[in-house]
Amino acid sequence: MEELILELKQRIIEALNLEEMTPDEIDAQEPLFGEGLGLDSIDALELIVLLEKNYGIRLANPAEGKEIFKSVESIAQYVSEHRTK
Amino acid sequence: MKKTNIVITGQGIISAIGNDKEAVLDSLRHQRTGIGTMQHLESEHKELPVGEVKLSNDGLKTLLGINVSHELSRTALLGMVALRQAINESDLITFKRTHPGKRVVLVSGTTVGGMDLTEKHFNTFTDENANIDCLRQHDCGSNTELMARYFDGLFDDNTAISTACSSAANALILGANLLKAGLADIVVAGGTEALSRFHLNGFNSLQILDKEICRPFDDTRAGLNLGEGAAFVVMEREDHASAHGAEIYGYLTGYGNACDAFHQTASSPDGEGAYLAMTQALDMAGLASSDIRYINAHGTGTPNNDQSESAALKRVFGDELPPVSSTKCYTGHTTSASGSIEAVICLLAMRHGFIPTNLGWSHPMADGITPSTSAEECEINHVLCNSFGFGGNDSSLILSRQATSGGNDISFKDIDVTVAAEVEITDEAQLADIRDYVKPLEARRMGRIMKSSLLSSLRALEQAGIEKPDAIITTTMWGCLDYSERLLEQLRDEGEVLLKPTYFMQSTHNTIGSNIAIRLGCHGYNVTYAHVGTSLEWALRDAHLLLQSGRYHSVLVGLHDEMTPLLRSLLEREGIPMIPSSIYSRAIVLTCGR
Repeated sequence: MEELILELKQRIIEALNLEEMTPDEIDAQEPLFGEGLGLDSIDALELIVLLEKNYGIRLANPAEGKEIFKSVESIAQYVSEHRTK
Repeated sequence: MKKTNIVITGQGIISAIGNDKEAVLDSLRHQRTGIGTMQHLESEHKELPVGEVKLSNDGLKTLLGINVSHELSRTALLGMVALRQAINESDLITFKRTHPGKRVVLVSGTTVGGMDLTEKHFNTFTDENANIDCLRQHDCGSNTELMARYFDGLFDDNTAISTACSSAANALILGANLLKAGLADIVVAGGTEALSRFHLNGFNSLQILDKEICRPFDDTRAGLNLGEGAAFVVMEREDHASAHGAEIYGYLTGYGNACDAFHQTASSPDGEGAYLAMTQALDMAGLASSDIRYINAHGTGTPNNDQSESAALKRVFGDELPPVSSTKCYTGHTTSASGSIEAVICLLAMRHGFIPTNLGWSHPMADGITPSTSAEECEINHVLCNSFGFGGNDSSLILSRQATSGGNDISFKDIDVTVAAEVEITDEAQLADIRDYVKPLEARRMGRIMKSSLLSSLRALEQAGIEKPDAIITTTMWGCLDYSERLLEQLRDEGEVLLKPTYFMQSTHNTIGSNIAIRLGCHGYNVTYAHVGTSLEWALRDAHLLLQSGRYHSVLVGLHDEMTPLLRSLLEREGIPMIPSSIYSRAIVLTCGR
């Protein structure tokens, strides 16, 4: 799981153009949206693309993302359970 | 103040529900949708229903008497069909022949432009002997020019407006202003848009396409269906039309253009931009909200639009909401053409006395409006037609059977215009300075053109000592080339997968101007011209009109372009004009005496 979390952090930094951040600066339990990292609805769409492209996970409904994208840890949990690649 | 009445003396329309206005009328009256399985667009996404025009490109060319071997963008072809109908209905060719001194102008809204051809040939662009003729049809303006040229000698001038889904409505607004200012005797205005794989996949990556037929204002709505088509109207001053005995199909009695200034792809929860556009239109027409007998809503069927538009409608109409429907459940969302397609539908509804029904509605949404679902015959004197675009480019039109009295009509008088500031950015290295104005979290996804346009604009405003301009007019030759090219590369290399949302939402031309408006919280008039060659001229003309109207005291005008290495090499080969560096931004603040 630690490995997946690091991989996700790197992919998130790349996909969301968080150029000045390093994986260490993202707390895996920290909320990604709102108070924590401060991501927005476009970032949520980028995360949906990221899941499909890298892990073969297709979210049928963007609303599903809300729970999954709470933190890097929750994404890692979801990916490990649902990945097809 | 004397009012200048603007009349409609010709109409043309082609859409999924018919290739002319009689067929469109018949489909509306029989509640037949034109949305269905894809037949013509060569996309893998057959699961997505679309509102296609039921003619192939060859079919359109045959209809127009154009040799089928001649490659033309579908956007231009659809536009020519609708234009020809409008021109024939008002017998404009004969008029121009007998009145050669009269100034006839074409204003067309489009965003896709020639993207259908560019995406078809893009994969071979890197070949040494690639056929790159299609680049001459890529920009919005070249499509308008192609359409103008088809009607040899009719048009004295033409321009292209690109404000995404409100483009055609803004074309009518510009047309009316040109007529009121005496800068044209006849304007043919509207919009045209063809389906492309580029924007189908782009909308798909924004997760706003429904896999079923859209259900505007329904609680179960899950997005829009893309459509295509074109519509144009012939517009004149009433005295001008009467002088040559033209038949009058309706009056454009009011219009409003405002910017939601909220988000690149979402409307604000209270629909501020929509509210402002509708109230401006009512004010100009001199009508109370209770005078409106039918509202053709923007009603795309996305969760966000229908919530936001409901809120705005309730703010304007309170509990006295007239019948409302979205006709996108018939035509699909025809994006840049929707403003004029729906204006023609409104004219048909007025003339034939019926309310087009909102198909597919059965579940009321929380805090939503209840659209009209049963066929209703009634006398309609005034209709309101809404068109809202990405970036919050919101416009409303009021069409009437008769001229209205009173109202706050726009008029223009000579006034001294001052260039209060001008800033040019030509070097990519300067873009790092955006950090002086924008936090890293905000700047991180802005493309080069977004940074150069914002930076030059903020600096020019600073120099002029103006915090927020009254209006923002943007002009671009090629638009957001960098991100558009990356999306084309993604389609080439990965196929029709989910495209990068960040790139797609910054691929429309009006992203530039709306980004500036969002940054400044500027709700004023906001339009974008997109035309290689003449768009700055048109933007400055429009800015002067705004200042001369006395309603606007400062206008930010910007010419913004960018270039990529691939496009530069291709354009050089073709001898097509381009900017000398990888970016070019020129921001001008125009003011008049306060």
